[in-house]
Amino acid sequence: MDSIYNSVIEALIFASDDPIPPGDIVAAIKALDGSDSDITDADVEKTVDELNTRYEQNGNAFTILKIAHGFVHATKPDHAKYVGYLSTEKTKRRLSQASLETLAIVAYKQPLTKPELESIRGVNSDYTLNTLLEKNLVTISGRAETVGRPLLYVTTEEFLKYFGLRSIGDLPKPREIEEIMKDEDFIEQKRRIMMSGIEEKAEEEESQSELETDNELEPEPEDENTIE
Amino acid sequence: MYKIRLHEFEGPLDLLLFFLKRDELDIYDIPISKITKEFMTYLHLLEQLDLEVAGDFILMAATLMQIKVKMLLPKDIDEKGEEIDPRADLVKALLEYKRYKEMSEEMSFMESNMRKFNYRGNYEEDSKQAPNDFETLLKNITIYDLIKAFKKALMDRPAEPIHHIKKWNVSIDEQMNYLAAKLKDKNSVSFLDLMLEMRDRVRIVVTFIAMLEMVKSGTIGLRESVTLNDFFIYGINNG
Repeated sequence: MDSIYNSVIEALIFASDDPIPPGDIVAAIKALDGSDSDITDADVEKTVDELNTRYEQNGNAFTILKIAHGFVHATKPDHAKYVGYLSTEKTKRRLSQASLETLAIVAYKQPLTKPELESIRGVNSDYTLNTLLEKNLVTISGRAETVGRPLLYVTTEEFLKYFGLRSIGDLPKPREIEEIMKDEDFIEQKRRIMMSGIEEKAEEEESQSELETDNELEPEPEDENTIE
Repeated sequence: MYKIRLHEFEGPLDLLLFFLKRDELDIYDIPISKITKEFMTYLHLLEQLDLEVAGDFILMAATLMQIKVKMLLPKDIDEKGEEIDPRADLVKALLEYKRYKEMSEEMSFMESNMRKFNYRGNYEEDSKQAPNDFETLLKNITIYDLIKAFKKALMDRPAEPIHHIKKWNVSIDEQMNYLAAKLKDKNSVSFLDLMLEMRDRVRIVVTFIAMLEMVKSGTIGLRESVTLNDFFIYGINNG
């Protein structure tokens, strides 16, 4: 692949509002420079890695994320506080516990119907599902062939973007039931660390890297055990 | 009584998991009686606080009680000849729910991480509030556009509602007197004959109500007619 395409690829990603799939980049280049250009999806991927390395070396404020089946420029987490100050309130609001639960079920079980969803959650999910539809995190993909032909729900590209996933296969694997039973306490502690630790500490110590934050939190589970 | 943070529970399954966890109970060997008691205490607490208890919680309470009853009865046997635990379905539901609840925690973590990235075009929504460029909007405007706009403004004004109210000069008391007068002369009157004399729908309705009033107070009675769809009215005082 010609090295001139490094800048072309960067330009295409930069100019795109939404994550741009590697296929679109290849198609654009081939359309203009002839279909015999020997550029592939893998080349694009490699270029993105190179660009990210260069951004890192130059200390740039942004990076290219590989999410939602494509590539997109984003500012680094270090600047979240300042960038977030100017962005709208809407983008700042977190999803509720109910929304997250519902999304998790839809994500792993998709496509699924509302009754299926509700039987897992054990509660009526009309409102939550509507909120997620409004936020474009889930969408209707069609109707099931079963009695009453209920609507089928699936997650969207926006969902992938929101959670920083490249494709639905990148979701962490749900643990098997036996495993869940084994180390119950570990999960609870992990949750506490996630909630209190990441939220507060990361905000207080904005300048510290993620790695340091993680290390610092390591001893906590032990402390908790001794208390109990 | 212990304090319970109500908003913590996303539903009855969530609440059950909380009890199991708090009391370090084995999910595969749930003490149904104990857990049902806990569950009911919570429901009563919700009622005391005047919170509307969601149907989902009541359904779960009923399910728990059903399991409790089944535990006392001889157990059903499946095709392999093994006893079916009445709690099996509940355990399965709890485990499945727990699995996704855990995933939602994982996703919450991912959410926190991703919220620190900001994409290009992130400020777009703010710019929508900026005033429009009036210069370009007012291009090619003629006097006719103004006339059209003015006419539209006049036409679109909501019309003042006009109600026509017609006064009906007939009352129940009047019609009761009328009926009483009618029955003074005759022993009985046919209902249909009586109605033939009246043209207004309202008068017929009012007369009918007056008739019912009089039946209620016992001054008149009704008797079946030979012809269907009709009946006779007779005064009780007149015999």
